[in-house]
Amino acid sequence: MTNAIPEVKLAEEHVGKWGMVINQDICTGCQACVAACAMENNITFVGEEDSGYGRSMHWIRIERFWEGEYPEVKMTPNQPMLCQQCGSAPCEPVCPAFATVHSTAESLNLQVYNRCVGTRYCANNCPYQVRSFNWRDYERPEPLPNQFNPDVTVRRRGVMEKCTFCIQRIHKAQDEAKSEGREVMDGEFTTACAQACPATAITFGRTDDPQSLVSQLAHKGHGVKHLEELGTLPSVTYFKGG
Amino acid sequence: MIKKLFDWLKQPLGLIAVGIVFLAVFSAAAYGLWTTQQAPEQPVPGFPHKTHVAFGIQCLYCHPGASKGPAAGLPSQAKCWACHNQIVKTRDSALLAPLKDAVLSGQSLEWVPVAIVPDFVQFNHRAHIAAGKNCEDCHGDVSQMGIYENPQVMNMGWCLNCHIETAGDDQEKLIKLADCGTCHY
Amino acid sequence: MTEQFSRRDFLKLAGLGAATTAILTGCGPASRYVKREPYQQMPEYNSVGQSTYYATTCRECAAGCGLVVRTYQGRALKTEGNANHPLNLGKTCARGQATLHGLYNPDRVQAPSTGDWDSAIQTVADALKNYKPGEVAFLMGMAPDHLFDLVSDLANATGMNGPVRYGALGMFEARATLSKAAENLFGQAGLPWFDLGGAQVVFSFGANFLETWLSPLPYTRGFVGLREGETKLRGTFVQFEARMSATGAKADHWVPVRPGTEGLVALAIGKLASELRGGAMPRVFSSVNPAEVAESAGVELEALHHLAEMFVNFNVLAIPGGAALGQSNGLEIAEAVLALNALSDNFGKPGGVYLSALAPNQTETSRPASAEEMAAFVEKMKSGAIKALFVHGVNPVFELPAALGFKDALANVELFSFATFPDETAAEAKHVFPDHHGLESWGYQRVATGVSLPVLSGAQPVVSPFYDTRATADVLIAAAKLAGGKFAEALPFADEVEFIQSKVGALMSEASGSFSAADAATFMAYFQQYGGWFKNADALIAPDGSGVLNGNVKAAEPEFAGEGEFFFVPFVSPTLAEAGANKPWLQELPDPTTTVMWNTWVEINPETAHELGLQNDDMVRIVSEAGEVEAYVYLYPAIRPDTIAMPFGQGHTAYGRYAEKRGANPADLFGVHFNEAGDLAFGGMKVKVEKVRAAQSGVGLARLESRIGVYGEALGEEH
Repeated sequence: MTNAIPEVKLAEEHVGKWGMVINQDICTGCQACVAACAMENNITFVGEEDSGYGRSMHWIRIERFWEGEYPEVKMTPNQPMLCQQCGSAPCEPVCPAFATVHSTAESLNLQVYNRCVGTRYCANNCPYQVRSFNWRDYERPEPLPNQFNPDVTVRRRGVMEKCTFCIQRIHKAQDEAKSEGREVMDGEFTTACAQACPATAITFGRTDDPQSLVSQLAHKGHGVKHLEELGTLPSVTYFKGG
Repeated sequence: MIKKLFDWLKQPLGLIAVGIVFLAVFSAAAYGLWTTQQAPEQPVPGFPHKTHVAFGIQCLYCHPGASKGPAAGLPSQAKCWACHNQIVKTRDSALLAPLKDAVLSGQSLEWVPVAIVPDFVQFNHRAHIAAGKNCEDCHGDVSQMGIYENPQVMNMGWCLNCHIETAGDDQEKLIKLADCGTCHY
Repeated sequence: MTEQFSRRDFLKLAGLGAATTAILTGCGPASRYVKREPYQQMPEYNSVGQSTYYATTCRECAAGCGLVVRTYQGRALKTEGNANHPLNLGKTCARGQATLHGLYNPDRVQAPSTGDWDSAIQTVADALKNYKPGEVAFLMGMAPDHLFDLVSDLANATGMNGPVRYGALGMFEARATLSKAAENLFGQAGLPWFDLGGAQVVFSFGANFLETWLSPLPYTRGFVGLREGETKLRGTFVQFEARMSATGAKADHWVPVRPGTEGLVALAIGKLASELRGGAMPRVFSSVNPAEVAESAGVELEALHHLAEMFVNFNVLAIPGGAALGQSNGLEIAEAVLALNALSDNFGKPGGVYLSALAPNQTETSRPASAEEMAAFVEKMKSGAIKALFVHGVNPVFELPAALGFKDALANVELFSFATFPDETAAEAKHVFPDHHGLESWGYQRVATGVSLPVLSGAQPVVSPFYDTRATADVLIAAAKLAGGKFAEALPFADEVEFIQSKVGALMSEASGSFSAADAATFMAYFQQYGGWFKNADALIAPDGSGVLNGNVKAAEPEFAGEGEFFFVPFVSPTLAEAGANKPWLQELPDPTTTVMWNTWVEINPETAHELGLQNDDMVRIVSEAGEVEAYVYLYPAIRPDTIAMPFGQGHTAYGRYAEKRGANPADLFGVHFNEAGDLAFGGMKVKVEKVRAAQSGVGLARLESRIGVYGEALGEEH
């Protein structure tokens, strides 16, 4: 047996299954996606002190940077940053517990909470810094837990978590389609962030279907995949526009 | 002092003491494990599943969610009482007093779920029924049960064995059925 | 103890102990002991294990967006936009998403202060009967409209004071100013609607239309249309404001004009553009001197020329709003900016200026009270003309500037609060009779702006009330019955639903609606199911702008009160707004431009901060003529060096654990100065900045940028 180094594919060749296109030109930074994600995925809030230590649990965050100095100062286009669901994910090989594994079926990076032992190697190796760690059992006093989504695990202390591309919605749509004896249609469902986005800056769908809206948008040109020079094969395409 | 303790424990008498303590802890643990596998107390004592099955009532009559979605669900009390209210024998039976009280007072019965999986497992009844599984494949022969008991430990090995068996030689099916993300998210 | 207790021994014993504990306690999942309660009687439309979806109307602000709420076994799990609702077309903002954190907030008013509702209703009935009608007043928020209608009916029939509406959002939006400016220019009052989507170039003078302004979702949609139009080039967007807002951050050009000179700048651009086009100089621009304006506004004349050139080739839509209207000359600014649109002749045309459509059951435009009207209201409380005050849907102790003296005036009145949350006003109230949360409520809301169709948005409970609360409409109907006489006659309804049905049912005979029905009950059922009713015909009002170019707009310089050296720009927090501070996930949403969470900050230009010896996270005191507040410094690169800015939304002294004693309230700094339309000149002051203490390790603003801090110290001072 040889220790063959896996062949690094160019992003153009990587198709994956689910993907996203984010149009930064129309993203207004309004945070609706962040709130929608938190509500859909039972993400805990951590409070001011832990937020200050960088322990907030946003699965999606809106990055912005400043360019230039007053008065020629400019804010770069809002950049929603979430797990890029890499085709060749740096987080996966470093997990000693196989909690961060690749889903062959859905072509997603999974985080298996019950396997996670909290080494945080994956977060250290993620070039996008999109993984968040449950540093404590954060208090969500009654009756706040009434809002929990029963389709998503409530995570405990010591567990890593990150964006799942709303895999619960993927499964639900697939299940419904199957029960009706058909394939999932494009646009039949979408992720919580894309559904909420008032600017429709986020589009989600099948990248392996050339007819889907997300494929067509992704091939419009000028799209950027972040840090693709690292060979991560990200599934999210960004349009800076402007 | 601790050295003295260890020296003493190495004496024959000490070894026996260690043995006894070990046995006690082990049996306590075994007992603990055993209790978790026993059917819990239910609000209607000795609820007889078998009687219901014997009358020819289908599982899905009382647990209709199983064919439609993730949860099989419990019948509403109104549904229970709709039948029992019409049967003279059950209407005034002392055994059914908890149900009658609950219906009349507007309180809820507090059932204890038995066939459960931990929070980090996302189980969906519908997919299993659609795949041709019957209720008894997982839940055993309910026609012989009073209070429901799991016929086997419902752990991941048990799930996965069946998944792999079901997939057989179909690689595509195996990829789907053995994917972590099929149940864990 | 002489013998050593070695580390090895300790580990042995500890290991044994741990193993025992694990064996004894780790058996089986704890959820084994969970109890499950079945439905006593399952609703017919429900199905075991399946979610049920209800359409309703969002109550986080007054815009009236349609929601579809996912519920599961009686609990509300998730809000989504109602895709069939013409206002928001299936979208929601962050506040709409977080409304569930209001519904299941651990700090809600759980029961009436009298203990039970019978005595609460008796108390209200006594107040209605025992005070003279003129001594009773209602102060209401901008939502919900059905309750406003109910109280209006009650007041009209009994001679009580008509309900007064107010909201901090309305104050910061300066709705009275916008309406008055429209009246002065077009001879018709109304809330202007700006069709961003059809425009080629947008000049926004302070309007923060992508944040909380008027109706943020339709304006966001318009912005997308501006950028993404299928048949046209990407539109250009220019923002004129002293402090770069989250809206301004999306602009192609950000022009940092001195606060209060926005109107002058608009007129100067108008003059330059008219010169470029040739022909007679329109009278409205004739009096202004562009060179002087450039000097006064702190911008290059060259830049104004460049902007004026856009009028030659493009249709330019000019929007007044935000901080620009909160100046002593706010009305003149609004008029000057609206007048600029005359150059593009876009009044009542696609890509131009309209007046908002009236809602289905609305006959004339209405607006919330201006600050000046609120000052008069407070005077009436002080003088004893108002003796009983009913407050619903607004938190005036927090939302009104402290300088107006509302809190002190409360000593003279018997205060009834219908607050859902224990807010500052409820804390002062003698009686607190909590209303349901919006998601537990019936109602309707007239869509005031944002859509070309007349829309009446419908609300219904998506879950049953979680606490012992009661709909205020039901309380008033019951109390009116108890009070008898003309009160009972004014509200001859069994309950709130019957009242709503009486109002909504009138629409049944309207032609060309989104649905129709043969009888009132069916119509009402559809109304709930669809989340509202709308007419299918466009009803935007085309304003008469024929006289604008030859009209007269004053080129007024702003006036500033106070001694300080800095202009002050208060702005509504885009994520918290006026009532979001008690929802923990809204607190943890980073501010779009500064990424600060959970606190209040003061934005200072880095140059200025350097001169003042200030750094990030230093605590400073801001002193105005009316008051002072303390907050952390945030070095903001996109603000004029002579200006500082502060978000409004925090600084609560009550309102639950997530809001209380957190940050500062810039409204404490506001002096009592009005613009000519009666809106508060909240930007019309100069303030001082005093350093209180230097930044300390471990104390300061929680920012998203410190995420890197997990792996070491923060990245540095700048980012």
